[in-house]
Amino acid sequence: MTTLPSVDISTIERELGQLWKENAAEAGGQAVTRALTLNLVARASDSATAEAISGVVQGLTASHPNRTVLASLRPDDAEPRLDAFVQANCLLGSRGAPQVCGEQITIDARGPAMAQVASLVLPLLVPDLPVVLWLPGPAPFADPLLGRLRGVIDRLIVDSRSFADPARELSEMARFEAADHVGPGNGPHAPALSDLAWAELTPWRELAAQFFDTRVLLPHLRRMDRVEIDYAPQAGRANVAQSLLLAGWLASCLGWTPLEDALSQEGGTLRLHLRRPAVNVGPSAIRLVTVELRAVPATAGRAGIAALHMRALDGVTADFSVELAAEEGMALTTAQVAGMTPVRRLARCERQSEGELLAAELRLLSRDRTFGAALRAAGVFAGRLG
Amino acid sequence: METVALENPLRAGLRLGRTPEPCTMVIFGATGDLTSRKLVPALYNLARERRLPGGFSVLGFARRDWSDDFFRETLLEGVNANSRSGPAEPSLWASFAEGLFYHRSSFDDPSGYQGLAERLAAIDAERSTGGNRVFYLATPPESYAEIIGQLGAAGLNRSPNGGWTRIIVEKPFGRDLESARALNQQLLAVFDEQQVYRIDHYLGKETVQNILVLRFANSIFEPIWDRRHVDHVQITVAESIGVEDRGGYYDSSGALRDMIQNHLTQLLTLVAMEPPVAYDADAVRDEKVKVLRAIKPIAPADVARFTVRGQYGAVSVNGRPLAGYRDERGVAPDSQTETYVALKRFIDSWRWAGVPFYLRSGKALPRRVSEIAIQFKTVPTMLFADTPMHDIEANVLAIKIQPDEGITLKFGSKVPGQQQIRPVTMDFRYGTSFGVASPEAYERLLLDCMLGDGTLFTRRDEVEASWALITPIHQGWESGPPQPFPNYEAGTWGPAAADEFMARDGRAWRRL
Repeated sequence: MTTLPSVDISTIERELGQLWKENAAEAGGQAVTRALTLNLVARASDSATAEAISGVVQGLTASHPNRTVLASLRPDDAEPRLDAFVQANCLLGSRGAPQVCGEQITIDARGPAMAQVASLVLPLLVPDLPVVLWLPGPAPFADPLLGRLRGVIDRLIVDSRSFADPARELSEMARFEAADHVGPGNGPHAPALSDLAWAELTPWRELAAQFFDTRVLLPHLRRMDRVEIDYAPQAGRANVAQSLLLAGWLASCLGWTPLEDALSQEGGTLRLHLRRPAVNVGPSAIRLVTVELRAVPATAGRAGIAALHMRALDGVTADFSVELAAEEGMALTTAQVAGMTPVRRLARCERQSEGELLAAELRLLSRDRTFGAALRAAGVFAGRLG
Repeated sequence: METVALENPLRAGLRLGRTPEPCTMVIFGATGDLTSRKLVPALYNLARERRLPGGFSVLGFARRDWSDDFFRETLLEGVNANSRSGPAEPSLWASFAEGLFYHRSSFDDPSGYQGLAERLAAIDAERSTGGNRVFYLATPPESYAEIIGQLGAAGLNRSPNGGWTRIIVEKPFGRDLESARALNQQLLAVFDEQQVYRIDHYLGKETVQNILVLRFANSIFEPIWDRRHVDHVQITVAESIGVEDRGGYYDSSGALRDMIQNHLTQLLTLVAMEPPVAYDADAVRDEKVKVLRAIKPIAPADVARFTVRGQYGAVSVNGRPLAGYRDERGVAPDSQTETYVALKRFIDSWRWAGVPFYLRSGKALPRRVSEIAIQFKTVPTMLFADTPMHDIEANVLAIKIQPDEGITLKFGSKVPGQQQIRPVTMDFRYGTSFGVASPEAYERLLLDCMLGDGTLFTRRDEVEASWALITPIHQGWESGPPQPFPNYEAGTWGPAAADEFMARDGRAWRRL
């Protein structure tokens, strides 16, 4: 039997205490604020990811100073090893001295020692602060760390843009959100769920919603017959998850329900067939909506959603579209209703870094019900796709 | 007249509030400083943050012979120099500038207003602005009455095809109770009160809005927010600059009109008001007006007891001469205008009876700083024998409005290893707790007006009640002897009389 290496928790805490004293000395009498607003547990399966996570976490200190516990795992190493390092992540004040600091503990686990990580994480959490588990990369729901921490965490953050099998994993995510399995961390105490792909949709949702803040345009929202969503490959691969979420959002907000035969596929195009609620009385009032998801080449090298078109074709034609513009970080919005001059404008729709998306999701204190509803609808489509 | 926000199902769960309906903002006096320094940079930043709808347009109205293109160029320079987000992004500016237009007319020419109506109709058709208009009076106040009358005569006080029309009036809103009443009458002969938005940009500041959040979203402050726990309140708005190029205007105005009547009185009402029944325009303003009505007026005969005036004089700092107020351009060489004022107010209510509110504001003071300090009572008896009683400082809750927006709480703490108590502070700074830049006050206020939310604007009764408290002080000052001005050096904390004023009450101004 191999003796597994061990790491002493009290040594880690002592090292952290020492770090704070050094920081205070460096600040030259100025107060250094140890401001922790949450525990962030992150998992990396290779050193490149671990480095990327460290970078993102440092950027988070400004908006969400936190204690990060980074589990850096090397499952393929034969030699079991377990090491821990501590560091402070500081926001520099006006004179270059550290002012607000968070702290990071990196646990480097190799080979069989990986199994010990979960037991190390628990005592390292700062009490009485929310615990967020961030699992970037594919297959987060099968992650052993999630299994071990499920009853402890308040929020799980994943990124469906990196799913290897988007349809299947999106279904899994919808099931997780609905918490329809037994075990700790279910029911009312189930962790809230965030998806960075959903966070990236925020500007699209804002720009789409804005058309209908105008009184005269609002009635057209209930008359949509056809929606088209164009999306560009993520990291070289077509990933329909984010477009399904956008379609799920429209469907859940507008009460569209999938037909029995809800899906058809043709090359890179996926069609969803839905029924929308009656606008007027009478049988003619019930109508169908087609949502078309089209894989397209990237606009200016930008992955993800490239365009959203919403159209009412029956009666007065109306066309609302948001599409990436040739100018970097901009989208063109167009509202075109028969009998009115089209209204066009350029609006910011900037590419957001992983850190910005993460910070946006961490701002949420409770469950994102809009996301939950969109995900449930998207999960239905994904289930039929798989 | 007000629009009802119909339910937009796509709005649910979005953090940004709804966008206003497309509209045209007509800026009177559009060639002036306010337009290029504040208004258009604020509008551009709103567009940049996706807060404005497509179709939003601006129509500048002024006397100078400018073209649409020249207007756009001038505004672009203004945005590049003054926008909090830095120089304009070219493509975004190009899209925004498509909605910028200029209309040349004098303010008293009826045909100019007919022309305005035609331009507005054309913009409605081209840009789908639906007859929605905001008129912004950014002219000198002498022109307000003329413009309001002409708008009414041209029928521009009502929108065609079911749109809305609103009017924003810049400060100063009158120069005394009588002129404020007259301006209200002129406005309300043409517009409904619901259409009128009297701006006080202090209310657009995040920290000012945070006063209500601090008071009514926390349970620990409100129970001690009264005469039993509060010793006194100090409100300071200090400016380090002199009157700069506003000498002519300022000399006919003075600190009491320019700062106390509006900004400091607003801060006072927000600190002293009772909880409103709802966070909406009328409920909040009802409570503010109640405070104003409860403030004990300072009778003309009492001004010497309740007020201190000052005017800054020339001084040399590090060998560099700093001009005195009377040396400024546009200022009379024997001017009696105050550039510093301090006053003591009492509020006759169950909550505040007997608690003095000290207000001070001045120009050419050492620092630009605005804050509200709630000074609590000291402990009733001394428990810690080794510390002399007078060494214990009272708890102070300071709400800092500028430059570093934040809140600090001062309390006593034991010095390690010694039997000594020393005051320490708990410090909360907006800048470090939320890694986002606060929007400019004008951004918030312009957006609120377009959304039809008057909460952060001054209502008719509010502006008249606040003038009613100011005018008797002016009357008292005018009937008294001339002041020995200048009586403080530029770069100091005001006249010595201001310190004596506090010392008489056994108190002192906070060192800021």
